[in-house]
Amino acid sequence: MAEDKYLAALRESIVHLDFATIETAARQAIEAGIDPGTAITQGIVPGMTIVGEKFESGEYFLSELVVAAEVMKMGMKVINPHLKQADRHIARKVVIATVEGDHHDLGKNIVTTLLITQGFEVIDLGVDITPGRITDAVKEHQPDILGMSALLSLTMTKMGETIENLKEAGLRDRVRVIVGGTPVTPEFADIIGADYKALNALEGVKKCVEWVTPGKGGQ
Amino acid sequence: MPEMTRRERILTASRGKRADRLPFFHWWRHCQLGWAERECRNRGMGMAWARPSYTTRLHDVSVTEQEVVSGGVTVFRKTYTTPVGSVSYDEQREPGTGQWHGDRSWLDVTPWFTQRLIKEPADYAVVKFIVEHTEYRADYFPIEQARDWLGEDGIVTDIHPHTPLQTLMIDWVGSEGGRFFIHHAKYPDLVEDLCQAIAKSRLPMYEIAAKSPADVILCGDNIDGVLVNPRLFEKFFMPEYETMASILRPFDKLLGVHMDGRVAVLKDLIARTPIDIIEALHPPTMGDLPIGEALAAWPDKVVWVGFPGSVYALGTEATKKAALELLRDVVPGDRLAIAMSTENIVSNDNLRMVTSVLENAELPLTPESIDRIEKSIA
Ligand code: B12
Repeated sequence: MAEDKYLAALRESIVHLDFATIETAARQAIEAGIDPGTAITQGIVPGMTIVGEKFESGEYFLSELVVAAEVMKMGMKVINPHLKQADRHIARKVVIATVEGDHHDLGKNIVTTLLITQGFEVIDLGVDITPGRITDAVKEHQPDILGMSALLSLTMTKMGETIENLKEAGLRDRVRVIVGGTPVTPEFADIIGADYKALNALEGVKKCVEWVTPGKGGQ
Repeated sequence: MPEMTRRERILTASRGKRADRLPFFHWWRHCQLGWAERECRNRGMGMAWARPSYTTRLHDVSVTEQEVVSGGVTVFRKTYTTPVGSVSYDEQREPGTGQWHGDRSWLDVTPWFTQRLIKEPADYAVVKFIVEHTEYRADYFPIEQARDWLGEDGIVTDIHPHTPLQTLMIDWVGSEGGRFFIHHAKYPDLVEDLCQAIAKSRLPMYEIAAKSPADVILCGDNIDGVLVNPRLFEKFFMPEYETMASILRPFDKLLGVHMDGRVAVLKDLIARTPIDIIEALHPPTMGDLPIGEALAAWPDKVVWVGFPGSVYALGTEATKKAALELLRDVVPGDRLAIAMSTENIVSNDNLRMVTSVLENAELPLTPESIDRIEKSIA
């Protein structure tokens, strides 16, 4: 029961976007002997899930989602050093980037936050990332999924170049590719050989979950 | 009745009256100069210039610029030094910047900020000092010059910066990693106090615009409903548009606002603003509000459509299809003008294709007249 109190405090701090309480909530949970893994999976993650649901229903906007993710990061900073190696569960991996020549990062960041909420490990390469660097990251991290974001019609061709690079490096068959951003249409995604064009972050993340869920398209 | 000039067509539609044909034009900042552009202009395309009616002067602030290498890239660092401290920002300029027009690269992209003016709470006071020591002075020469050049070939609009909150969101604090939202959540007083100072400092700018020779005053916001959610729009943007309109209206100026994002979530609030022209509205998929629906939702407003780059990227056939779809969506075609692009350079082929669809778009449009246009370019 006491455990519930601490986990609820973590959840509440995130749902109420409360910078003032999250660190204390995290510290108190650890001091009360709550397993750090449990603090994350039953405190932090459910908090972010609630925020995600509120975003989906229109009660919360992008601003709240961004702030909740920031609150979450503050909590994680306190908890992370206490995690034992064994607690670091093996999550499904996503490499994500905004492509070369493009610095629009809001969409990519939302996707990243929502993927983390769903338990993915996300390697966020940042913005203005060349096809070569994305390919290298796929080689290095061996993710299940590669996500690319482009907001400019000038830069969306870089997604196609990246897919070509992956093919040349013999990596294309090892990773699912999901693309997003306003000018990217399903036709365009088809032309460049991506696996999926996300309508928005929520729908895209659902697709990612489906891909890694056994029996639903996951291996 | 004699045929309207391109200028008359744009202004007639912008004042909510019926023009002889659907006005379409190219913004100078995205326009190639050459045979295709000349051909399209001969076939009815107008031109539009956006030029400011003011200059600014900083008092007690010194500004220096250096070229420095930061994080492995060469950036330009502008530093503002004031009696209360200094602030700086870095920008990364793509090739061509400063070599042809505006501050755009060969590919028509403005520099990226890699470090913002406001990085931490202490920077707010310095920036507030700069804001409070910025003087706006009338300078109508750029508008008069462009009007003289254009004559009846198009229009010249005045151009203003982002409204106060968006100045912070997009320019000074920036949105990378959602930074503006985080600042607003952590330091609401600092953010809102600076917004108020900016709003106050801009009043003379609106007064200068009201007396300028431009018919249309464009507010350079980038309204997008995801970034500017309804709560922010209502609290920070609507009052600012009210202020602008109250100053511009007595001088019969039209107020336009750049709304190039997805604005469906703001539809009802936009209807309540005193804005005359919703500028740069993009049809889906780039936007999320079909133009016909927007016109119906805003019966006292005019829409200047931005033809979407996502369509251009798919080639001329897709461009033709989208242009015809647009016409069918807006029948009878009043309260509307179409900009060839509000964001990108348009290829010669695409420019000519849109012109082929729009050159015969006599008003009022009917389903039959659009079928005839389609057949004429089959
Ligand atoms: C905000 C914005 C900016 C900000 C970016 C701030 C930032 N840090 O990201 C600033 C002001 C810096 C900016 C700059 C430019 N911009 Co801009 N910008 C926008 C705007 C208004 C909103 C984009 C946005 O962030 N939306 C909110 C986010 C959350 O939505 P989103 O990115 O679409 O992401 C969602 C989905 O697409 C999806 N998603 C996105 N990526 C991914 C990836 C994956 C894997 C998945 C699953 C899903 C997914 O999930 C997200 C949530 O649902 C759009 C308008 C529009 N219609 O999109 C123009 C827009 C993208 N910009 C445009 C342009 C042209 C520019 C400039 C080139 C203009 C210029 N001045 O030169 C510059 C870029 C150069 C520069 N040097 O600054 C054009 C692009 C046109 C084109 N076809 O190429 C647009 C479309 C405006 C328009 N109507 O034409 N911009």
